[in-house]
Amino acid sequence: MKNNIKVQRAIHNLTQQDLADKIGVSRQTINALEAGKYVPSTVLALKLARLFEKTVNEVFQLEDDD
Amino acid sequence: MKTNYLFPNRLKFISGVLFVTSSLMLTLYYSVSQFGQFEFKAKVFAIYGNDGFLGESGWFWGVDNSILDEILMSIVITTGVVFAFCKEKHEDELVASIRLRSLAWATILNYSILLFCYLFIYGMPFLNVLNVAMFSQLLIFILLFRYKMYRFYKSAAYEE
Repeated sequence: MKNNIKVQRAIHNLTQQDLADKIGVSRQTINALEAGKYVPSTVLALKLARLFEKTVNEVFQLEDDD
Repeated sequence: MKTNYLFPNRLKFISGVLFVTSSLMLTLYYSVSQFGQFEFKAKVFAIYGNDGFLGESGWFWGVDNSILDEILMSIVITTGVVFAFCKEKHEDELVASIRLRSLAWATILNYSILLFCYLFIYGMPFLNVLNVAMFSQLLIFILLFRYKMYRFYKSAAYEE
């Protein structure tokens, strides 16, 4: 699964730490998400999408091997 | 995501210190014969047991026993469990997933080692294997989890 959290974060002018604080995870988790090393739970995906005022589909996309 | 089965983070430091010191003392007690001389003899209640090493046996009675290893093992196991299952400072779902993965690997590794020892160690030395098996899974899990958390915290030491 890929995501564009990094792009969304830049649009909203947030650092990794800001974003982490807003949705209640550690900065390392945001880092792992952006690097594509971690697939978040549905709750976390919904929280991120709500913060960015997008739908989940606009932030997260399936890849061919999913 | 809320987890409610973990111990509070403030217990992590004290339980960690107690776990390391008590497990070192227990290792010394088992491995260095001179330490076996520190005996706190006491009458203890046994559900089933022998009096002495090969004395008469019985159910629900009192036997004479050196209780230093019992005291140490109680401390090792209780502080070990608390230290292993303490909340991290920033507990989130990725930490929970790292914990679960470490626990699975620790179980697999522990039973591989135990099976290996069961097949290739015989006689009295096998008693040592059983002693270590009391807390080996806990120890392997703690080492594995702490190492993975160390890597996790280092993974984003800088802002991209």
